[in-house]
Amino acid sequence: MASPPLSQPEGMLPPRSEVGVIGWLHANLFSSLFNSVLTLVSGALLVTGLWFGLKWIFLAADWTVIAELGGRFLLGRYNTEAACEGQNCFWRPQAALIMVSLLLGAAWGLRGNRVARTVAWLVAGVSAAFAFLPYSLETMGLDVRILLLLNLPAVPLGWALARYTPMGTGTRVTILGVAIFFLTLILLRGLPAVPFLQPVSVVYWGGLSLNLILAVGGITLSLPIGIALALGRRSNLPVVKVLCVFFIEVFRGVPLITLLFMSQTLVPLAFPEDMPQNSLFRAAVVITLFSSAYMAENIRGGLQALHPGQAEAARALGLPGWQTTMLISLPQAIRNVIPAIVGQFIGLFKDTSLVYIIGMLDVVAIGRSFIQSNPEYLPSARELFVFLAAVFWIFTYGMSYISGKVEDYLGVGRR
Amino acid sequence: MDTASRLLSYQGIPVWRHVQIIQWAVQIVSGILVVALVVWFFSNMVNAIQDRDIPSGFSFLSREYQTPIGEHFLPYESSDTFLYALFVGITNTAIVAVAGVFLATALGIFIGVSRLSSNWIVSKLAMVYIEFFRNVPLLVQLFFWFYIVLELPAIRESFVVADAFYLSNRGFSMPWPKATDYSIAGIWLGLAAVAIVAGWLVYRRQSRMEEQTGRSGYPLIYSLATALVIGAIAWLILSFAGGSSPFYISIPEPQGRFGNIVGGFTARAGLLVLLTGLVMYTASFIAEIVRAGIQSVGRGQTEAARALGLSPMSTLRSVTFPQAMRVIIPPLISQFLNLTKNSSLGGAVAYSDLTNIAVTMTQTAPAVSIFMLIMASYLAMSLTWSLIGNLYNRHIRFVGG
Repeated sequence: MASPPLSQPEGMLPPRSEVGVIGWLHANLFSSLFNSVLTLVSGALLVTGLWFGLKWIFLAADWTVIAELGGRFLLGRYNTEAACEGQNCFWRPQAALIMVSLLLGAAWGLRGNRVARTVAWLVAGVSAAFAFLPYSLETMGLDVRILLLLNLPAVPLGWALARYTPMGTGTRVTILGVAIFFLTLILLRGLPAVPFLQPVSVVYWGGLSLNLILAVGGITLSLPIGIALALGRRSNLPVVKVLCVFFIEVFRGVPLITLLFMSQTLVPLAFPEDMPQNSLFRAAVVITLFSSAYMAENIRGGLQALHPGQAEAARALGLPGWQTTMLISLPQAIRNVIPAIVGQFIGLFKDTSLVYIIGMLDVVAIGRSFIQSNPEYLPSARELFVFLAAVFWIFTYGMSYISGKVEDYLGVGRR
Repeated sequence: MDTASRLLSYQGIPVWRHVQIIQWAVQIVSGILVVALVVWFFSNMVNAIQDRDIPSGFSFLSREYQTPIGEHFLPYESSDTFLYALFVGITNTAIVAVAGVFLATALGIFIGVSRLSSNWIVSKLAMVYIEFFRNVPLLVQLFFWFYIVLELPAIRESFVVADAFYLSNRGFSMPWPKATDYSIAGIWLGLAAVAIVAGWLVYRRQSRMEEQTGRSGYPLIYSLATALVIGAIAWLILSFAGGSSPFYISIPEPQGRFGNIVGGFTARAGLLVLLTGLVMYTASFIAEIVRAGIQSVGRGQTEAARALGLSPMSTLRSVTFPQAMRVIIPPLISQFLNLTKNSSLGGAVAYSDLTNIAVTMTQTAPAVSIFMLIMASYLAMSLTWSLIGNLYNRHIRFVGG
């Protein structure tokens, strides 16, 4: 027997106030009297805020200070007469940037990952777009512009390298990444007695590139150090445990600024006088260790939240202790605390702005010192710091966006 | 088993595979390495101090500091000692920390609850706030506020609200209670503490009665009334006995040709900028913590409370919030710690916090000793916050059963 056709009776359609645009408005903005008042008040706030904000950005604000600082935002005083006497150093950071584009291209080629593709094209695209900035050819030469444009072909080149050559394994691309990081440092620092690579003192490093170098180095190293500290803190060896707890608590208990000051006044005393000293290196070490102490606590949280049954099952299957940790506990613990870890990465990136304390001119300090030495730009301070906030925001928001994608991929909170 | 491996075995296991022996070896080696490193650093430092004639020791503490401190809440003269100047710095940091923690918690809870609002605009506004302030370095925010305050009108053209609140590029002034006579004020403060304890006892008694009998004991109303009545009686008696009330409200007033503000409490530009920056920045983190805490309470809890007939407000107050607190408190305390430590950025915006004073001191006093002292101070402050957090944590865990 055929069942009667299922059709919706005429009178059963949902009321018009519950579906579509009206339904959405009703549910989200005007569900009750209180909610309606809230909507009107906050809506008025939003509209006034947007009105004045946009009016300021497009009409009132004077952005010439940004144009005036221009490349100094990216490189600080690197490409000045004082930094590289008699030579032109502009190509060295440019070459490093091209290598980074190549690396990002390779990362994209490795997995065909959409996020990697977006990041690679974004970096290369923005760099190439800089080639068309409306500066005069004297301020920004044709050579600079051509080098910037070379970022575009670097991406597919890296992609092809990872796709069609034996370079295309995770380990090799990682090694390539580390090699490019050190090559960048060598390129920027220069080598004595090598033509075209005249040494440039780190004092002249600066701008956003300094923030990025410190952040990349710190992020790469603080994770393994943090893992080691977390494992040490949970270890049942009393000596190791006490040492790790002491390290973590001291670094977490004292402000980074105080530690940075100490790295400049006390740490040099703790090493023999004839040892080569480098203030930037000391600051980088302090930032990394500071971040590792926090990282250790995040990872310890992850390890603590893990059900003990996981480790017990692994031991019951006959895995030795270190394999239990490396293959069973740590991967799950780290996956569960990815948001906290990325939060710490973001914190580290923001903390790189504190190197002003040791006299380095990072992207924030270069802007501030420019305003202080050119009082005619004092009224533009607001524009300058809004711009700097936007620059940092783009990077940090990008990091949390990528972290969200990684979490989705690894199924955080779903498995 | 040949003799060699028998000699090198313990409990029948070769030593290089005996877990206990390996563990002890690892510990001894790492211990020796760390001790050796520390000894090496220390001897280098001692050598450097002797060779280069760097001053050391703690005798400087009783010397006169001879340097002005920009902003101080304790009375301070240049002729005061280093020790006292350090103490002034600690107070400055502590004041910013405590005021900042209160304001940031209030703002953070407000933003965090707004983020969860069913109202789309409110929730999105809160999200924009969080995503913006959380992702921009505090230093950039402080500099931004610094130049905003710099652009405020001069003190003579201050923004004035109700003839009592003044905002200018020098700072922000507001009415503030001041002691008429320190001894009478002190007695009243002591009695006020007694009143608070009495109120707390009444609160406990009434809520226990409420739990045991099921009748409404109105613990909050009774306890507040007790405390207020005791406080007011003490106030009246002291006013009659001493001829004037223990405290009066001092209202700021512009005076003289330059319109300098006298009376009330004035947060000078440095404090104003530092506090604004710290509060806005930390509130964004606290908002996320509050949101995560409230979301961690199972939906069934809210639904059950609503089914039992509790109003949305009572549900939030008696069901959701107490449970959320357990998740919220530990990360909240670490935000308090961060705020305290971040106040060391005060030097960048002309506020004399502990770090700023200490760094200035290193020009005329031994850096090694000073850094040891400020490390100890910060560690003590961190421990204080942790202690408060742990106590409170134990309290709510106990109540939650």
